[in-house]
Amino acid sequence: MAPWPPGDDDALTVELGAALWDAGPVPEEFLTAARAAFAWRTVDAELAVAELTFDSACDAEPAGLTRSGGAARTLSFRSGAVVLEIEVSDAGIVGQLSPPRGGRVTARTATGPYDEAPVDEVGFFSLGAPPAGPVRLSARADGYAVATDWVSLS
Amino acid sequence: MTDLTATGLVAAAAGGDEAAWAELVRRYTPLVVSVIRAHGMSRADAADINQTVWLRLVERLDQVRDPQALAAWLATTARRECYRLSRLGRRSQPVDPYDDALDARHGPLVDAAAPDEALLRAERRQALREGFAQLPPRCQELLALLTADPPVSYREIGERLGMPVGSIGPTQARCLHRLRNCPALAPFLGARRGPNKNGGDRDGAVAAGR
Repeated sequence: MAPWPPGDDDALTVELGAALWDAGPVPEEFLTAARAAFAWRTVDAELAVAELTFDSACDAEPAGLTRSGGAARTLSFRSGAVVLEIEVSDAGIVGQLSPPRGGRVTARTATGPYDEAPVDEVGFFSLGAPPAGPVRLSARADGYAVATDWVSLS
Repeated sequence: MTDLTATGLVAAAAGGDEAAWAELVRRYTPLVVSVIRAHGMSRADAADINQTVWLRLVERLDQVRDPQALAAWLATTARRECYRLSRLGRRSQPVDPYDDALDARHGPLVDAAAPDEALLRAERRQALREGFAQLPPRCQELLALLTADPPVSYREIGERLGMPVGSIGPTQARCLHRLRNCPALAPFLGARRGPNKNGGDRDGAVAAGR
């Protein structure tokens, strides 16, 4: 591969011009959405982030794991010892929170909550079908509170 | 917001400075968008991916260990989300005017066939934008005029900057020399950084030849 950045001044000037002016138009709505994301800086600040560790849409199935099968997409989030697993279908989200300590789960889009539900004694909960766009679930149970990574579910 | 380096902006935004966040958005959204474009996503998917990337960054602002690596983190996160959504295969929009415009500009097949190459190009362009942002204002003005489209004549550049036409070439060479040596471009230099100390002389020779 040719050395980069180019040693020739004219070539570098051309590349700089392309970088500065030809990034293509960035749609205003992209900038607006990106700026608006800042509003979330403090909203869930007290919650630990449960990172997305598995998504059946794009990750290989972990060995030894038996899923219920079918077309439902499954995702796992983890924050320390807390694991939140969900199965997403057209009908909605069913999930399990562990360790099971009751509490409530709230589902949000970037514009606000769209559903919430109680967590039962074995950690199960169900939520309505997620709207388009990034979604995050937050769970508050006895002894812990987590919020998942933002991820598109539908 | 006095520190306009990536490090300073990340620190200020982590502390709640919305103007610093807006500047990060202004500076880095072109990179995020160019990575998404390189993957040929529909406009709806592209918007979701862009939003996801920035939402994820918000909650990691105080964990960004090396803010100079911010561009790489943004590009990687955008690329992963592109892969996720492309695997979902949702909402295909074969006749999207936005995509048509993109195809006309970038050529769809080239990027689709060589995503790595497209990503490398996007990262290089981002490095150039960052390097440019670190140059003295005088250099930024001159290089912006020299790369303007439609082109601006040397005479007009001289008038606008109050600079003799004869010193435009040498000044351009000095500014490009600074650009090549700025920290933003350092990760790309690797192979060609050697005992060769003649960069300045070479630049001077090129300038003299103008």
